[in-house]
Amino acid sequence: MAATMVLLPGEEIPTDLLPKSKKGTLTLGPGLHHTPPSTISATTPGTLQVDHRKAALWLEHAGGRYQPSVGDLVIAQIHHSSVETYSCALTPHTSFALLGQLAFEGVSKKTRPQLKAGDVVYARVSKASKWEDVEIECFNSATGKAEGMGPLKGGMLFDVRPAFARRLMIGTDKEGISKGGVVVLEEVGEKVKFEVAVGRNGRVWVDSGSVRETVLIGQLLRRADEEGWGVEAQRKAVKKALRDV
Amino acid sequence: MGPDILHHPLNRADGSATLSSNLYSVLAAVNGPVEVQRRDELPEEAAVEVNIRPASGVGGPRERWLETVVAAVLRSLLLVHMHPRTLIQITLQITKAPSLTLKGAARDVAVLPSLINAAFLALADGGLPLRNTVAAVLLAVASTGEVREEPSEKELAGCKSVHGLAYDNHGDLLLSESAGSFDLVEWERIADQAEKACRAVMAPLNEDGVVTEGSTSSLPWLRQELTDKAQAAIAWREAT
Repeated sequence: MAATMVLLPGEEIPTDLLPKSKKGTLTLGPGLHHTPPSTISATTPGTLQVDHRKAALWLEHAGGRYQPSVGDLVIAQIHHSSVETYSCALTPHTSFALLGQLAFEGVSKKTRPQLKAGDVVYARVSKASKWEDVEIECFNSATGKAEGMGPLKGGMLFDVRPAFARRLMIGTDKEGISKGGVVVLEEVGEKVKFEVAVGRNGRVWVDSGSVRETVLIGQLLRRADEEGWGVEAQRKAVKKALRDV
Repeated sequence: MGPDILHHPLNRADGSATLSSNLYSVLAAVNGPVEVQRRDELPEEAAVEVNIRPASGVGGPRERWLETVVAAVLRSLLLVHMHPRTLIQITLQITKAPSLTLKGAARDVAVLPSLINAAFLALADGGLPLRNTVAAVLLAVASTGEVREEPSEKELAGCKSVHGLAYDNHGDLLLSESAGSFDLVEWERIADQAEKACRAVMAPLNEDGVVTEGSTSSLPWLRQELTDKAQAAIAWREAT
């Protein structure tokens, strides 16, 4: 029953539902608030999800603005460039995230990429705190490898809800079935060649052979999000849309 | 019965809701946390800005007063310290108001519960950190002394006093605005009834997901709405 327990803001989590960890520590995810000494209450309406293996618990909630947290892969748009950093927008109307001029794979002061305002990069959040500016980087600072991140050239950006972007990023299980319940990309991929990058901040970048196909993929994703398509509905819609191409 | 509620009607706002009760309809939109103007910036907490737009015409002193009252309630409801130096912006558009002309303060008080409820639903939709669940209720005392919850237009026009009260899930009073003539004994009776009504709308559901606590007349519509919404949000999880 714990999987479908719905909490309203201000309600406490019953102590018998808390996972037991060996180290005696709990990891709290979004939507939960710890009041010392030992009260954990919800801050948003949502369903309680518990991962007993990691002793983690969080509230699943569909809406809201993206809140940066360390390790998230995001699609950022350059707003302006300054001496040491680029200022990038992750979500509209929030203060800019900082991307170091040298935070790319294998660059030196002379070979750093020249990005203009409006350019789009795929990056990882390296620092997120409520007191300071968010920082992002386009390479893994531990290994120095790009790991797929970097400037995104060409293509188009589409906005989806952050919760949907998360579903797109959850990936597939061992049998290759999408765990997030989104099969649009897999279905389209059987017929059309395209590149895609999903940002946790609710942005999807798509590039393919033609603008027509790119827009079609983006529209399918947006409609799957807004209209809440199930797996079958997605398959049907993809089939219908590909017939016209 | 509870009011009619539509979740997330506005696609581009972070959170939104429409709430239609028998008297008023309100469309609420929430954006936040967003960047704040330097002059409104607070170093330790988020600034809360409420904009109220009337059903017709432009806002005046009445709307400014309503904004201060609603903002005070929401500020005590939001966990403002979780997003310092940001802005949480709430816009409330009244889309339907009673056709009859209520006079003076009664008119101002009558709209408050709808505004609070709509704003709360929009904040919940936008996933902003909330300290508590809140519900507001409008009570009217008829000239016979009878207290009516969610009065009709006619009852509101002929009543002795109107009261807008809001309680959270711990039974704390967050809003108390009254208009008309009443005494303290009467107000205490009204406050008791309001607390019962507010707690009833967020009362726990029983196993079947329907009403419990047969003693109260109103359904727990607030909990029902939020529960349905939360479960719809994880439908994909169940399907896979």
